[in-house]
Amino acid sequence: MTTATVTTDIHIGHFKIPSNGQNMIMNDYARRNNISVEFVIPEPIMSNQLATTLWCHEDYNFSHIVLCSIHQLPKDKKKIENFIKKTKDVEFHFALEGIKGKGEFFLNNCFKEAEVFYKAKKIDSLKTDWIELYKLFKDSKNK
Amino acid sequence: MSIQEKIVNGPGYAIAPIDDLKCFEKLRDVITEKLQSNKSEIDINELRLKMTSMSKSEINNIMISLLSFNQASEIMLNSCKNIVKELAGDEVFVQRRANTIFNLPGKDQRRQWPHYELMSGISPFTYVIWAPFHDLDDKGGVFYINQTESFETIKKEHEQGLVNGPTILNKNYDEKPVKLKYGEVIIFSPFILHGNIDFNSNKARIACSIRFQSIDKPLMQKNSDFYKYYKINE
Repeated sequence: MTTATVTTDIHIGHFKIPSNGQNMIMNDYARRNNISVEFVIPEPIMSNQLATTLWCHEDYNFSHIVLCSIHQLPKDKKKIENFIKKTKDVEFHFALEGIKGKGEFFLNNCFKEAEVFYKAKKIDSLKTDWIELYKLFKDSKNK
Repeated sequence: MSIQEKIVNGPGYAIAPIDDLKCFEKLRDVITEKLQSNKSEIDINELRLKMTSMSKSEINNIMISLLSFNQASEIMLNSCKNIVKELAGDEVFVQRRANTIFNLPGKDQRRQWPHYELMSGISPFTYVIWAPFHDLDDKGGVFYINQTESFETIKKEHEQGLVNGPTILNKNYDEKPVKLKYGEVIIFSPFILHGNIDFNSNKARIACSIRFQSIDKPLMQKNSDFYKYYKINE
């Protein structure tokens, strides 16, 4: 049984988490769930294919892979299909979402859910204030 | 007045009956069973009594352990299906981990100080549903400040450059917790100031809450860490 954690680019969907922060999140998750981590994979920045993870998996045959979030899964449909094909026996853990599972159904659901969140509109909290937020709430409901 | 009308243009909160009480009962029983040492007989009042002798840290640990009960938010959502649909449609972002909240009677117990939900980073389009697991026949419930007064207080603090600061914390609230019956929920907007007060009883208060919003409305700081996508089926 070999467990790996994976750090990626700082931009993770809506989140911005430096790699040492990612490590803290994953290691805390592993500790809380009695998972012993043996392998740490640093994916390169500006890459969202988890290709390094796949190469390492060919050599080390991971049983568990811990990531911070579902947003770290490849975005491209073909890439995710390939990823799923090559990791169908691996149990994945997503620390921020607190979910785990393995196989095509689970990973496809994670991929789809990440897409829903990715497509959702966002309010930039740096560009608004409490008064404006209240106005947004009232206006949208009274339309 | 519809629930939406009450929340947006009325007091900012509304009380409504649970749509599917059997479903909610299941949630109450699963949680009670998880916490009872004697699993053969599920009794919420026995659990409420037992909890009064627990320490603050024991209560806190229980609340944390229940966060891993992932299905709680779906059960809660399905218990209030029609309410959720009226407010947010049938495709929603719902809190991944429903909060089960325990409040102990007496002075100096852990309690929610006055706050409004928006301060946590949920979007202004979020609604909160809060439901007790038993009748609230003492002051163990939550008090809610009406929308006009809540917003005036938020505005006052905003002008001072503060968020949930002394104006809110030290305000002299007319503390009258809402006396809900088992089978009723309170739904409120994220702008409504609310909190708990000390109360006298021989039993703890146990309640459950979830936050949700339409997937068509923008998110703010809370994302997949807090919410999950959920489609309500008929």
